[in-house]
This record gives sequence, structure tokens and C-alpha cells, in this order.
Amino acid sequence: MVKAIFYDGHSARQQAVTLGIVDGRLEMRGGDGVLEIPLSAMRISEKMGNTPRLLHFAKGGHCEVSNHADFESMLEGAGLKPQSLISRFESSWHHALLATLLATGFVIASFYWGLPWIAGIAAAKVPASLALSIDAHVLSAVDDGLMQPSKLGRARQQILTRRFNGLRNEHGLPAHTLEFRNSKDIGANAFALPGGTIVVTDQLVSLAGNDEEILAVLTHELGHVSEQHPLRQLLQSSVVGLAMTWYLGDISSLLAAAPTLLLQSNYSRNFERRADRYAADMLRQNGIAPSRLADILGKLESSHPAAKADKQQTSRIAEFFSTHPVTAERIRTLRGEATRE
Amino acid sequence: MQNQEQRFSFTGTGSEYFRIWIVNLILTILTLGIYSAWAKVRRMQYFYRNTHLHEASFDYHGTAVAILKGRLIAVGLFAAYSITLRLLPPLGLTIALFIALIMPYLLVLSFRFRLYNSSYRGLRFSFVGSVKSAYFTFLALPVFTLFTLYLLAPFTHQRIKAYQHNNSRFGLSNFSFNAGAGSFYKIYFFTLIQLVLVVSLFAYAAYSMFKGKMAHMPREAIVGFVLIAYLLLIIASLLIVPYFISRIQNLIWNHTELGDHRFSSSLSARGLAWIIFSNLILIVLTLGLFKPFADIRLARYKIEHMALLPADSIENFIASEQQQIAATGTETAEIFDLDIGF
Repeated sequence: MVKAIFYDGHSARQQAVTLGIVDGRLEMRGGDGVLEIPLSAMRISEKMGNTPRLLHFAKGGHCEVSNHADFESMLEGAGLKPQSLISRFESSWHHALLATLLATGFVIASFYWGLPWIAGIAAAKVPASLALSIDAHVLSAVDDGLMQPSKLGRARQQILTRRFNGLRNEHGLPAHTLEFRNSKDIGANAFALPGGTIVVTDQLVSLAGNDEEILAVLTHELGHVSEQHPLRQLLQSSVVGLAMTWYLGDISSLLAAAPTLLLQSNYSRNFERRADRYAADMLRQNGIAPSRLADILGKLESSHPAAKADKQQTSRIAEFFSTHPVTAERIRTLRGEATRE
Repeated sequence: MQNQEQRFSFTGTGSEYFRIWIVNLILTILTLGIYSAWAKVRRMQYFYRNTHLHEASFDYHGTAVAILKGRLIAVGLFAAYSITLRLLPPLGLTIALFIALIMPYLLVLSFRFRLYNSSYRGLRFSFVGSVKSAYFTFLALPVFTLFTLYLLAPFTHQRIKAYQHNNSRFGLSNFSFNAGAGSFYKIYFFTLIQLVLVVSLFAYAAYSMFKGKMAHMPREAIVGFVLIAYLLLIIASLLIVPYFISRIQNLIWNHTELGDHRFSSSLSARGLAWIIFSNLILIVLTLGLFKPFADIRLARYKIEHMALLPADSIENFIASEQQQIAATGTETAEIFDLDIGF
């Protein structure tokens, strides 16, 4: 006999009853006498933590059972399963631990492999006009303060543009445009935007020892454009941002943006390596030594105080967790490419 | 005993819910999201069955298939919109307009589903709001609010809550709502004041500290400063948002009645801020695994600060509640559920 509370479904009244199972029928004894209900005419709820289990009767009304141990042995005695498979999973810490490991593995795998893969497919489907409008948007945003019009002479800009556009690539070239900007805040730098706009700062032009170094940096950026790295990066960080916002709840959408920025502010090491390889390949096709890229990378590193720290950071572990490829390693690889010739 | 306050209580625990949550999560992943509907039923049941009022708990009866249908409809509409917006922008906008036009109707269906599938002591809740008033409340008013530069937002908020609570029933008893728009305006006003104060304080502090030094600072210092300012802003918003949530919830429940019986809600902004803030820190530190514990803490705080104030004795309240034989709207109540929060 198991104690239970009966509700008739017509009023909020509680009735204390006892339950038993006899010959495939549930016997309910209470103040109103004995009621027999075939087991086929009821739904027994699954166990859910320590909450009462419910028996919903087809004719209306239900029973609540709080004594789990007695109820389960009653079910077992009648040849019924005391708990569903899911409930057993849910009450076991071993399964919970296993599920935690699986879920963690899944999240890590989707972040490192799933997301980049899907972003690559999606990026190919974004219309060029949309990507171009992103470029216009970004440029107008940075032109308001972070960057000023280039102070390079018109002729100098034209020479560089002509030399860059004159470079060939046997695999074809992606659509791109070159923009010059002056920026003390950013310093010597070059970057590519989703629509194929490549921005180079005056500071980089004057940092470079010769034009071949500038062209080397530009082909590296062209490598990013060719494989749609800026667009993929944008898609990936938006998805991560969305997921974080959803997970942390509406209130902390502000906070959700912060780790997203930190996680995704730089290209992955893989993107940088691929762009380096693209640049080395294209430079060689045009009779320029890939070591030119190594030269300018070295100069860029010493021109940015932040990057100086990188030099001492030779620890393998630090390198593994860093999203930047350590510049020294990239330079070594590029010099390797040069000597292989 | 007259007017004995009946507090709601919550008996869910984090360690119990964690196991339910992680099993739900892994099955959802393995079934490519389909199990999420079953997971929602289990989640709702866990929270409802652990919510108690006067020696009895609540229960949730929604079926996973109905929830799955609602999710498929929502995903279908969203996919149709985002795909056509890329390929055929005019058609995409037409679909957006179509979604906006059917949204009030979907909301009514969703309210019916949620209330009809909630019960206490074996008696079901129900929602009897008309589709016509839903179009006024959820389409006409919000559009009009947009044109008034959100000056009408508190009024719209009041109308939404009035529509929801005035049209809800438990058994044969009607809920009613009697908070005026004025009290909503008051809460919105004080929230806005706090927001303006905090933002201007930060702006002033930043300006006076770094006036003229900006150009000579290394880049890392500027980045660091921006990050600190950003963190402070988050902390500030963590104080303002709980203020708004707690005041609104108190207002709504202190002005809701069920028949002659009243409710009370006594959330404090500080208490809620502490829960939300500590939850957030712990979620970040445990890389997300604290989430189920956080959900339980928040639910417990909100539920245990609510009470029912019976007009006479609680026994009379219990005895008088009857189930309507054919609850209105049950034909459509079981079609599907949309996860639209209000």
C-alpha cells in the first residue's frame, strides 16, 4: 500500500488515499470507498527529481505520490518498470558526468571545427554587394576619427596601386580595391575587409624598406580576401555572440559581447598561415622573394609595443592557446620558403 | 484564521536539476535539436512540480509534439524570411510583414497553450483573451508607440499586462488586473533617471581623468581603460536592470487578483541584483556549467517572494474553486506552443 493524494479534477479538494496494484488493476482506497481502475486507463508520469509522481486517470482526476521508494517497489511487484530510462539517466551522477564531458567536447569541437566550416560555406553564399556595403560601413566608421586621409602624394599612391594591380597569380585574383589611410593611432598596419577592400596605412608605407615589402604585405592581405577570411571571421564572431547572448540571458548581452570580442578579435593562426602561404606563392610567381614578407613582419613586430611581448613568449603552451601565430614562427616559415627555391 | 498570507515555496535543487539539464542537453545535441521539445516539457515539469502553495504543487501538461510543432513553425517562418531576404529582398520584406501580421494571433494561441497546460490541484488555468484585442495590444499599440518615440512604451506595457491578466482564469475564477498606466510610467521614469545618472557619471570621470592625456598614452593603456569602463558599465546595468525587473514584477502581482483573492510580490532590487550578478560570475567561471544552478536560484528567489492573500480563509478558497466542464479555447489550446516570452 502506498499513500497518495487524490484530486478529482472538478474541485481543488485533496483526498488522502492508499494505492495498491492487484491483477493489473489499481486499487484506490479512500474516504469514498474503493475504486478500481485498469492500468491501461491511466498515465504514470516519469520520475522527475524528488517531485511527486502523478497518475493521470483517463476518466479525469489524478493522484500524487511522494513516497518514491514504496511506489517503485509497488510498480516492480506488478511487473512494471519502476523508472524510465531517461529518469535513470537523470538521477545518476555517473551519467551526468559522462554527459558533461560529451557536451563540453561538443562545444569545443563546434567552436574549433564546426563553426569555421559552416562560416566557410555561408561566406561563399553572401552576395558581393552585401559584403561591399559592409566595407563602406566600416570605412565610414573608422574615417570619423581613427583614420585620416592619406598624406602620401597622389603619384606615390598611384605607383603602389599600379605595381600591386600589375602582380599576376596563375590561380586568378579575387575582386579587391586598395585604400590608403593615415593613422597615428593604429600605426603601421594593413587589413582586409569582407568586400575585398584592403586598407594600408601611411605608417606601414614609410616603415617598409622598399616597395617589395609593401607588395608582400598587400599580397598577404589579398590571401585573406581570396579565402574570404574577413567575412568568415565576421560570421563566426556573430554566431558566437548570438550563442553567448542566448546562453547568458537577455540581461547580460553586454557582457556576452566582451568575451566574444576577446575570443574573435584576431584571425586564427590557421588563417594567418594560409594567407602567408598564398602571399609566398604569389610573390614567387612575380619574381619577388617571399622573405620580403618576413622582413616586413619583423619590422612590424618591433614597431608595435604590444608585439614585443610576443618575442619573449616562446613557451609552447602559450603558443597553443594564442590565436595569433607567434610572429617569429611565421618569419621562420617564410624564410624557409625562400631558401627552398 | 482570516486573511492568512500563503507564501509560495520552491523545492527544486541545483544538484537535482543539473542532472536533468545535462541529460536534456546531450540528448538535444544527439538528436540535432529535436529532443529540445521533450527537454522543455521536462524542464517545465521540474519547475512547476517544485512550486508549492498551501500543501500542493503546480503541474505542466504541455506535450512535446505540440511544442515541436510550434518550434518547426517558428524556425520555418524565420528561415523563409532570412533566405528570401538574401535572394529576393522585396519578398523577404513581404514575409516579415506577414509574420508581423500573424504574430498577435500566434501569441494568443501561445497564451492559451501555456495556461491551459498549467494546473494546480488538478484544476487547469485557461486564457480567454480575444484575438481582436490581441491585435490592438500587440500590433496597433506597439506600432503607435514607435511613432511617439517610445513615450507610449509604459502605457503599452500596462496594456499588455492588463490584457494577459484580465483574460486569465483558474478553474471558474477570473484573474483581474488593476494597476494603472501611471505606476508603469513612474517605474520607467526612475529607471531612466538612474541610467542617465550612471552614464553621465562615467563619461565625466573618464573625461576628467584622461583629459589631454589620450594622445600620449600607449595603446594598451587605452584598450585597458576602455575594457574597465565597459566592465563598470556592465556592473551598473546589473544594478539598473534588477531594479526595473523587481519593481515591474512587484507592481504587476501586487495589482493582480484572482476572484476576491489578492497576490503580493516583494522582490528587492538589491536581492535580485546579487542573484543575477553572482550567477553571472559563477557561470563565466564554470564555463557555463553553473547555468542550471543559476536558473534554480533565480526561480527560488522570484517564487518565494510571492504570496497569495486569500479574501477569507485558504480553505474556503480551495473549496470554492471548481473546474469549468469545457474550458474555453481548449480546441485550439493544444495545437502548438510558441516560445514567446512575456
